[in-house]
Amino acid sequence: MSPHRMSPHRRRPWRLTAAVISLFVVVAAASGCGGKTSGADPGRVRIGFLASLSGTYQAVGTDMRDGFQLYLDTHGNRFGGRAVDLVVADEGDGGPTAVPAATKLIKSDRVVALAGLVGGGSVAGVVPLLTENKIPLVGANGRPELKDPTWVWTTSFMSVEPGAAIAQYVKEHVDGPVFAIGPDYQGGWDELKGFTDAYVKAGGKLANPDGKTVFTPFPQTSNFLPYFTQVRNSGAKAVYCFYAGRAAVDFVKQYRQSDIKDLPLYGAFLTEGSVLDAQGPAADGIFNVLNYSPDLDNAANRTFVAAWKARHDRSPTTFAMASFDAAAVLDKAIAGINGPLTPQAVNDAIGRLGPIDSPRGGWQFNHTTHAPVQKWYLRQVRTDGRALANVVVQDLATLGNSTDK
Amino acid sequence: MGLVDAYLIPVVDGLAYGLLLFTVAAGLTVAFSVGGVLNLAHGSLYALGVYTAATLSDGTWTGLGLAVGVGTLAGAAGGGVLAAGVAPLAGRGHLAQALFTFGAALVVADGLTSLFGPDELPVTIPAGLGASAMIAGHRYPAYRLAVIAAAVVLAGACWLVAARTRVGARVRAAVDDPQMLACLGVNPRMVQAGVLAAAGGLAGLAGVLGAPIIGPGPGTADAVLLLSLLVVVLGGLGRVLGALVAAFVVGLIQTLGVTLAAGWAPFLLFAAMAAVLVARPARTAGGTA
Repeated sequence: MSPHRMSPHRRRPWRLTAAVISLFVVVAAASGCGGKTSGADPGRVRIGFLASLSGTYQAVGTDMRDGFQLYLDTHGNRFGGRAVDLVVADEGDGGPTAVPAATKLIKSDRVVALAGLVGGGSVAGVVPLLTENKIPLVGANGRPELKDPTWVWTTSFMSVEPGAAIAQYVKEHVDGPVFAIGPDYQGGWDELKGFTDAYVKAGGKLANPDGKTVFTPFPQTSNFLPYFTQVRNSGAKAVYCFYAGRAAVDFVKQYRQSDIKDLPLYGAFLTEGSVLDAQGPAADGIFNVLNYSPDLDNAANRTFVAAWKARHDRSPTTFAMASFDAAAVLDKAIAGINGPLTPQAVNDAIGRLGPIDSPRGGWQFNHTTHAPVQKWYLRQVRTDGRALANVVVQDLATLGNSTDK
Repeated sequence: MGLVDAYLIPVVDGLAYGLLLFTVAAGLTVAFSVGGVLNLAHGSLYALGVYTAATLSDGTWTGLGLAVGVGTLAGAAGGGVLAAGVAPLAGRGHLAQALFTFGAALVVADGLTSLFGPDELPVTIPAGLGASAMIAGHRYPAYRLAVIAAAVVLAGACWLVAARTRVGARVRAAVDDPQMLACLGVNPRMVQAGVLAAAGGLAGLAGVLGAPIIGPGPGTADAVLLLSLLVVVLGGLGRVLGALVAAFVVGLIQTLGVTLAAGWAPFLLFAAMAAVLVARPARTAGGTA
């Protein structure tokens, strides 16, 4: 700062900055308070559900809530014979909003278990709260590895798994080095690490300079063309990426208008959910890996898809499916409790669950990681009837057996 | 591989991106220098244009033309509403005005999400523009070339209006000496309102044109506001030419910078801003164009 007195002109921007910051504080403080308490009613069970009902992941959060609700609607609103009081709260964009919401559900609503949670960061933020209050969480989306997953169960997958599942296939089908690229945050690091570790282990070579994955700033990257120039200059024979939401739309559309439009594109998530409509024909032909596809041919899935489509004018996503399964897990666990219904009893009962019949095919919990042992599928975007859809091409690996937490 | 061959596309892309940003930021910087209004709802006016494009542009040229018209009008109307809103706050300084526009931005963001939903929406453009063009053997989106052309025409038209017309003279007078302008029988407040509306129209138009580049979604307004503020601060508050140069710099940093130093990509933009603020504090923060 200069020694002489600042002119009013020069001070102006900083006063504005201060005003904007204080406004953010006010807005952040205005979220959720209040609540209700009730005595334990032996015929009822109170469950807390947390998902992003606003913010960046609103689409995913809404899907998860709808999946959970679908299970309740199709099972008489009962878990293990008890009527369910579902208390829904907004996770927001991550830990800073998720923790107060979870605190309210646990302390004020006195729920017996939590379900949902979109973000890995939210899970990490909520874990200490769960451990302290001994409340189980049946998470329904990807999460990072945890030191102590005693109270955390996950019905979707570990973030490193999609990449690990497709690596061998990519190694076998691409003749030459592959360029790895993803968004620069915890989920992106995990997803890409899963791929690069398994791919290099399988004898593959990354096209990236120094063999290091390129991470794009998240969420502000909307222009991927400069990265595509890098890919072209690297001499890669294919690209592997993980993107979701807006970034997935931009990435795919720009890919098809760039120098590398004919390079095979493999991804995790990339074309899952509503983004596929926005990507349109640019997504045609993209290979992607996931633990679910609406066209899977099994009885549980046919029932699930029919029930979902009766309520929504789109196909179910893996988010909705995993959340549907989270409800199924709680239902089966609560049904297996002989004695008082406490959070501890629910957690123990989840630990005793065997195979679960799911729209994705059968799966069960790995009792060390508390995540599913499940099959992964290779899907390709194809024209299915009138619209573009993710179509299952073949089964990939079954993952989740490892004992790494 | 030659240098030109390796970096041609990022440079062209930097120009396209920079010109789009300039179309948005020019209005922001002019509105600041004329009325002292730092319009934090400027990104929302861009968002109005973007959602207009998503709704009206149906892949035909007529649809695109309609979107351009409606988007510009929507942006201008939004600018007019903001002008009416900040007018009573004129005596209370920048803080009150900035807070008002910030509140307006929150309202617009919430309104757009309730109307259009939380998803990223697809934007359809005429097939001729959706193709890719070849530049010296490299594939590049044809649409972005069209954006470059449109933005150059717009910038030229704005310069003509500012430099060669009576309206432009009044705007420049409102910047340099509002009291003298008032003495001549022109109400500086009306000029200010007109500039806010015109800036809004420009932002709305940029939204329609930029929809396939920075598309419709819940984060659009914030992203565009942040980039425009960056351009305005880098170029010097109130300086139009400065904003043009800054827009190119921001565009090139985001394209060429990323290609050359991918690891630094997250920091490059803000490092550039910090460097400029440190190196020439007096010129960036004060003065007029």
